[in-house]
Amino acid sequence: MKSKALAAVGVTVAAALALTGCSAAGGSSSGDSTKLHIYAWSGEIPDSVIKGFEKETGITVTVDNFDSNETMISKLAAGNSGYDIVEPSQYAVPLMVERDLLAKVDKSKLDGFDNLAEKFVDPSFDPDNGYSIPWAWGTTGILYNEACTGAPVTGWKDLWNEKYKGKIYMLDNMLSAYIGGMQVEGLSATSTKKADIEKGTQALLDQKPLLAGYNSDNYADLVATGDACIAEAYSGTSSAKAVAANPDVHYILPEEGGTLWTDSFSIVKGTANESAAYKWLNYTLQPEVAALLTDDASLASTNQAALELVKDQTQVTNPAIYAPADSLDNAEFIVDPGKALAYYQDGWTRVRAS
Amino acid sequence: MANTRRDSVTGALMMVPASIVILLLVVVPMVIIARDSFAISDPLGGNLGGFTLDNYAKLLDPVYGKTIGYSLGMAVLNAIVCTIVGYVVAYYIATRPARRQPVLLLLVIIPFLTDFLVRTFSWITLLGSGGPIIGIAKALGIPATSLVPSQTAVVLSLLYAFLPVAVFPIYASMRAIDPSLREAAADLGAGWWQTHARVFVPLSASGLASSVMLTFVPTLGVFVIPVLLGGGKDPLVGNLIVTLFTEFRNEPLGAALSMVVLVLMLASVALAGLVTRLVSRGARRSARSERSA
Amino acid sequence: MDRVVAWFSRLIFVFLYLPIVALVVYSLNASEVSYRWEGVSLRWYVELFADRLLLETLRTSLIVGLVSALLATALGFLSSTALVRFRVKGRGVFLGAILIPLIVPEIVLGVSLLTVFSTAGIPTGFVTLILGHTVITLPLATLVQMGAMSSLDPSLPEAAADLGAGAWTTFRRVTFPLLRPAVLAAFLLSFATSFGNIVISTFTSGVGTTTLPLRIYSQLKSGLTPELNALGTLLVLLTLAIILVVGVGQLRRILAGGPASQ
Repeated sequence: MKSKALAAVGVTVAAALALTGCSAAGGSSSGDSTKLHIYAWSGEIPDSVIKGFEKETGITVTVDNFDSNETMISKLAAGNSGYDIVEPSQYAVPLMVERDLLAKVDKSKLDGFDNLAEKFVDPSFDPDNGYSIPWAWGTTGILYNEACTGAPVTGWKDLWNEKYKGKIYMLDNMLSAYIGGMQVEGLSATSTKKADIEKGTQALLDQKPLLAGYNSDNYADLVATGDACIAEAYSGTSSAKAVAANPDVHYILPEEGGTLWTDSFSIVKGTANESAAYKWLNYTLQPEVAALLTDDASLASTNQAALELVKDQTQVTNPAIYAPADSLDNAEFIVDPGKALAYYQDGWTRVRAS
Repeated sequence: MANTRRDSVTGALMMVPASIVILLLVVVPMVIIARDSFAISDPLGGNLGGFTLDNYAKLLDPVYGKTIGYSLGMAVLNAIVCTIVGYVVAYYIATRPARRQPVLLLLVIIPFLTDFLVRTFSWITLLGSGGPIIGIAKALGIPATSLVPSQTAVVLSLLYAFLPVAVFPIYASMRAIDPSLREAAADLGAGWWQTHARVFVPLSASGLASSVMLTFVPTLGVFVIPVLLGGGKDPLVGNLIVTLFTEFRNEPLGAALSMVVLVLMLASVALAGLVTRLVSRGARRSARSERSA
Repeated sequence: MDRVVAWFSRLIFVFLYLPIVALVVYSLNASEVSYRWEGVSLRWYVELFADRLLLETLRTSLIVGLVSALLATALGFLSSTALVRFRVKGRGVFLGAILIPLIVPEIVLGVSLLTVFSTAGIPTGFVTLILGHTVITLPLATLVQMGAMSSLDPSLPEAAADLGAGAWTTFRRVTFPLLRPAVLAAFLLSFATSFGNIVISTFTSGVGTTTLPLRIYSQLKSGLTPELNALGTLLVLLTLAIILVVGVGQLRRILAGGPASQ
């Protein structure tokens, strides 16, 4: 018996080590351009896009997912990450450029850059798209269940409405929560003034007793089931799913203002697979490829030419995916507050601990 | 026990592998963290090196004390709940016929092969307003609202997550108790409570101590449960540190808070260890004298 | 009183399996959302087997879990033997150090481990994942086995020695059989801990070595897919089947052993 058990253990270890060895060897031969290692948000690159790229170019793609920009940055900052393409959010791009983690995009190697919608060309967070090619975008707004609110919701002020006490959720993310906190007070969501941020903090402090909680994960389910009436929400996959699942659920951009987010593809500085990385950028700039993002992931594409190629055109008019153009007139990208970050942090710490 | 020279050489050699791992992968990282806790933070993230006490000074803000206090309370509650439940279940398993024990032990661990988040979402649906529990309550005419988010849901979910680390050490030390002791106690006419108070609890004291440590200490690092089941309004220290490391990009401040937590925890563990050692030493002596009687 | 214990324990087993039963039910739900029932379907099982990336992460998690649990159990066995049986000095310091991974929030340990690995020039991947997981499971494996060793009646090995058995024979025939349940308990606990870990994996995984929990955690933002319920169901059923068909006899021998007292 004992020898059998020992043999079993031995085989397991040997097999595991063999597999480990194989992968280690595979990872080190990164000089050729037959491989591409992508580090991206989960659910933002449909399988159909990866398979199509592999088929067209013969390049083998591995995709790993991160759960926050900050995790991705610390993995890259440690050096030698092995990734070629990353997918930072808009506010993370300048931070990564500053820390010298991204390679400058050579526009002459790009094909199809003019397919991008105007909003995403030369954006405030990355002048002249020097380091990032926007891929997916969305808004920060409100998801609500009309069966529960009893009336249409129009703006942030409803997240401060006593009537919904205990049924309100805010996003569990500092900068996102402050969008509501600042705009409900009539302030810019990207203000860097100490007095403004103080007002926003006070609004969030006043709101806390009304909240069921802070949640960035399953708020859409909670609104769809009626466990929550109203929640601060991101547009995109999960909000679209909730809207589709329950006709009472609606996604709106608040009348007090709107904010945009976008996740872009960037090339990692020092990539060993530069030509494959450019092939990826060019492939994903094609309108028929970009349209798959809406078809298969219910996310808005930054590609203007892709819109008419989306199979289900109701997706393009669904505000939980594509915000209507007129509501975006005053919409701004949420950018990093820089030195003012400290004011936000002090405020947010107080809000969370209150 | 004879402690010959050869024994101590063998013993020392046996310590080598684990000590190397601990030195390189625990002590060295901790030195880095300790160093970072005195570093100047870079607003872009990372740290600028140098030396400052600002990080620790910042922690004097009462908001941190409040969160630490709340977390310690939750940790104590979790350790008590888990260890009592763990003791009962471990005793149940250890007193089954020997051939059934491994199966029962595996039954405790099998649910943990499903992913933590998948299990948590299963709970959320079960406890939510559309779930069967509320449904049954309503059918019985009991007015009930969703149990998520609530403190009860947090406590239950912590019990669920930590039960195996309570059951296993207690079971392991109970199994090693000489079964004749229990019979001896019964022969001497000791009742259930007495047998437990005089034999099982003292002799499994080290298992109980492990259970307390393994359920008390990691509660401070928990960060998903408070958000998903507690609504995220009352963060634990773990949530706070994650926020400091990620959203706030303030590794030095996060490192300082971690050092404070580390020192607090090591101190309480050392204190608990001292108490258990005294208790179990006394109990062992009395158990032995009882048996020889 | 023993009857109360039995009923309470059964209740706890129900508690443990309640979400698992729910999981099995949800996995058969045709609907994309778990809160609405739309009839029985095997749709999610079909999607699961088509999801190459998900299955790859499962393989990664299994390898890392097995290897790191073996390492942690072996290292923990050696050091707890040294501390308890041979009374090596420095027990307090060792215990304090070994507890650190439990105390320090994982994100702190994870970030600093990443620094250590990158300074040492070890690229993130299987090696770093396994090392990282060994560090966090070592305290569990050590404490479980130490607990058992401390409860072991020291007179048993002494009696064996008195009867003329050598140190190795005593260990093999008397001490180890008594400790086998603890060794198994330590291994299982370590494996389950590694298999479920998120945070340490975040910082120690590399290209192509995303673990299953990492993949699931990153999906939170867009919503967990029901194919995960199917995967959870299969893992539980598979383990139960293995235990029932192959394992019981073997396990019985591993655990039911023990010296004359059994």
